[in-house]
Amino acid sequence: MKRIIILLVLILILSILSLSTAFAQVHTRIRVIKASNVGQTIDPSLRDVHSDLGSVFNFTSYQLLRDNSFNLSPNQTVSISPRPGILMEVTLVGQHRPVAELIIRVIRKGKEVLNTQVRLSPRRTVLIGGPRLREGVIIYAIAANF
Amino acid sequence: MWKGGGRMKRECSSVSKLLDKYFDQELTLEERSLVEGHLPDCPACRRALESMETLRNFIRSPVEEAVEKETFPWVWEKIERGIQQREGPGLWESLRDWLSLPFLLKRKIWIPAVATAVILILVMAPLLFKKISSYPVPSVVEYVESETYNVMIYQLENQDVTVIWLFNGPEEET
Repeated sequence: MKRIIILLVLILILSILSLSTAFAQVHTRIRVIKASNVGQTIDPSLRDVHSDLGSVFNFTSYQLLRDNSFNLSPNQTVSISPRPGILMEVTLVGQHRPVAELIIRVIRKGKEVLNTQVRLSPRRTVLIGGPRLREGVIIYAIAANF
Repeated sequence: MWKGGGRMKRECSSVSKLLDKYFDQELTLEERSLVEGHLPDCPACRRALESMETLRNFIRSPVEEAVEKETFPWVWEKIERGIQQREGPGLWESLRDWLSLPFLLKRKIWIPAVATAVILILVMAPLLFKKISSYPVPSVVEYVESETYNVMIYQLENQDVTVIWLFNGPEEET
């Protein structure tokens, strides 16, 4: 009887481990960057994405305004305010290794500026940009790790 | 008489060379019959044989006594190890013994155990299948909508970067 209990406990532990792996959290990082052609300053904390930015855009200056990191569980929504008056909601809607599916909503003054669903793998970055900010533009660099 | 004595001496010298082997029972039938034919007529060879026997007894008794008294534990340990290595149960047999399958079968505990396992497999299978399924190379952006901007999607082929660009917006951000 003792052996049976040990076996059942082992099965239970394996099940829990497997389930926990299946529902692993996704570490999400959102960086808010101001890009412009005024000056030639590259924020040191953007070195890892500078080559990506440089390969797509012609801006000469990149400045990190905000850096948000959080963990997402399946179907969990996290709201952040990347800029004053702007709300960004990020929801993890699926995770099929090596891809995490996120729904990203950007809301400004009650209007949905953006609603998109993206598939992110650990090395992939999605850059959402365009809204103007004074002499430059805002770029959101979104990456996920899991 | 002299001639017979000479023959006896020659025979005795050749038989005496065989006595050791005779004593150890290593002779051929022919040699053995030669020695046994000679022994009744030769007191010297008989004495030599008797002295061999006496010597053997003299040596054997104390050795046997010592062997009887000594248990030679290390010898037994070595033998037991050898037996275990040769006849020891395999991994599967050990596991089966540990699980005591006959006990399980006898008690019919395998029914709930199998049922539990099947339920767990059914519950886990979709999750595991989901995890290992290879995702076809997807477009990174499933969909994109905007009430206030025009949207352009730009994806670099060789780099892990996708750009969603919002343009022609209504007003400048503060």
